Amino acid sequence: MTRYVQHGLKVKSKPDEIARQNFMLNMRSYVMLDMAMGMKKIYDNNIEPNFKKLNKRKPKNGDEIHKTIKKDTYFKFYSSIRCNAQEMVFRSVIPPIERSMIDLKKKAKKLSTSKKANGSLKIDKKLTIPKSVSALDVHLMPGCYHSEHSENDLTQGALYDNGVSVFSMGFFGEKLDDIGSSISLFIKKKYPKFKPVRILDLGCTVGHNTLPWNKVYPKAEIHAVDVGAPVLRYGHARAQSEGISVHFHQQNAEKTNFENNSFDLVFSSMFLHEVPKKGIKQIIREAKRLLKPGGLMLHMELPPNKMLDAYNSFYLDWDSYYNKEPYYKTFRDMIPEKVCSEAGFSKNKFVQFIIPSIGQFGEEEIIKSVNSQNGNVDDRTGRFTKGIHWYCFGSWK
Amino acid sequence: MSENDNKLRYSVRGKKSRFFESDGVDELVSICMSIAQELWVVKEELALLKNLTLEKGLLTKKELENFKFTVKQKTELDNENKDFIDRVFFTLRESVESVDSNHDEPNPPPIP
Ligand SMILES: C[S@@+](CC[C@H](N)C(=O)[O-])C[C@H]1O[C@@H](n2cnc3c(N)ncnc32)[C@H](O)[C@@H]1O
Repeated sequence: MTRYVQHGLKVKSKPDEIARQNFMLNMRSYVMLDMAMGMKKIYDNNIEPNFKKLNKRKPKNGDEIHKTIKKDTYFKFYSSIRCNAQEMVFRSVIPPIERSMIDLKKKAKKLSTSKKANGSLKIDKKLTIPKSVSALDVHLMPGCYHSEHSENDLTQGALYDNGVSVFSMGFFGEKLDDIGSSISLFIKKKYPKFKPVRILDLGCTVGHNTLPWNKVYPKAEIHAVDVGAPVLRYGHARAQSEGISVHFHQQNAEKTNFENNSFDLVFSSMFLHEVPKKGIKQIIREAKRLLKPGGLMLHMELPPNKMLDAYNSFYLDWDSYYNKEPYYKTFRDMIPEKVCSEAGFSKNKFVQFIIPSIGQFGEEEIIKSVNSQNGNVDDRTGRFTKGIHWYCFGSWK
Repeated sequence: MSENDNKLRYSVRGKKSRFFESDGVDELVSICMSIAQELWVVKEELALLKNLTLEKGLLTKKELENFKFTVKQKTELDNENKDFIDRVFFTLRESVESVDSNHDEPNPPPIP
C-alpha cells in the first residue's frame, strides 16, 4: 500500500516497491522544495540581473522569464528531474496495482452493496470522452483517467489514488482530501446560514475532495460527475468503504442531464485548468443553469496569472510547458470575475478566497481566515510548500 | 481486453520534454534517477534485513563475511541483475522501441 491509501481498495506493495515509492516521495520533495528554492536563487542572482542589463527593465511576465531561464543549466536539471520524477511516481505504484487488478474488481463489487453507505454509480458507455482527456496522458499519467484494461475496470482510479499518494508528499493529508476539507469548513464558517441540501462536484476523479462535504453538511445529498469510468468506479467503491453516500455519474460537466435549479452548491477542485477555454466557459454556464437561486458555485484552482508576480506566474506555468497540462496556462491567463460575469452571474455576487490548508494550519486558522481575507496571493498559494493555501473563486446565483 | 491482460500502460504517450542541447544528457538524467532509486531500494531492504536479523539474534558479523552463494542462488541473482540493468537503462530501450512503428507502447522492464 502507499502511505495515504488505507481504505478498502488499498493494494499491497512489497518492501522493495515501498522503498521505490518512498524514494519518489523524497525525490519529489527534493525537486519541488529544495531545487525550486535553488532555482529562485539563481533567478534572483543571475537571470534577472542579466535580463535587466540587457533590456534596461525587469521581465514583464512569466513568458519572458521562461524564455530566458530556459537556457540555464540548473533550470534544465530542475525540469528534467521533475519530469522524470513525475513519470517515476506512477511507475512506482504500477506493479502492486497490476497484481491486484482482479482482486480490486471483486472488492469494488462487494463495497457497492455495502450497508455502510447508500451511494450509487451510473456509467454511460455511450459518453464521448473529450479530446482533452482522450488525446494525451494528462500530467504524465500513463493511460490518463479513462483507459479501460478490461470489463468494469477501475485500475486507472487506483493508479491516480496511489500516484497522488506518493506525488503529494503529504500536503493533501491522510485521506488526500485537504482541499475539500479546508474549503468546506471555511464555507460553513463564513456562511453559517447557507445549508446546502444538494451538492454537485464536477470533474471529481476518485472523489478525494467530494467526500469532505459530507462532514460539514451531513444531511446534504452529494452528487459527483466525471468523464472517466474507471475513476468513477473506483471513487464509488472508495466512498462506500469510507461509509459516505455519494452518487457518481459518468457525464460531461459541460452538459449534464440534471434539472435546472437543482443544486445549492456546485463545486470543483483542480478541474478547470484541465479543460480547454471553450469548455471552461460552457461549464460555468452549466453551473449557473444547475444552481438554485441563492446557490453557490465554487471552483478551487490555481491562482490566476494576474494575481501573481512575474516569477510566480512562470513557476506555475511550468506544468503547461512540460507536464502535459496544455490548458493550464490558458486557464490561468483568464480573469475569473470576467468568466463568471460572461456566463451570466452578477458581478456583485462574485467571490474569491485564499484558504489556509487545514492539515498545516488546523481549524482555528481557517476560522480566523473567514474574517481576514485580504486577497493577497503569494508563493504559498496553490503550491506544495510550507504554509500552503488554496485559492478558490465562484459566484452566488 | 481480457481478464488476463492485466497490464497498465507504463510509458506516457506522446513526445517527451527535452532540456539539454548536448545529445544524450536528458537520457542520462533518467538513468541516474533510476540508479539512485534502485540504490535506495537496496539500502532500505538492507536496513530491514539487518535490523531483523540482529533483533532475532540470527546472525553474527563473522557469518555474514564468510557467506558464499550456491550455484542456483548465483544464477537467480544474475537474472535479477539483468532485469535490474534493463530497468535502470529503460530510457534507452524506450527510445529505440518508440521509433519502431509496430510498437504502440514499449515493453516495460521486468519489475521484481
Ligand atoms: C485533476 S482531475 C480533478 C481532481 C479532483 N477534482 C480532486 O479534487 O481530487 C480532473 C478530472 O476532470 C475530469 N474531466 C475532464 N474533462 C471533463 C469534463 N468535460 N467533464 C467531466 N469531467 C471531466 C477528468 O477525467 C479528471 O478526472
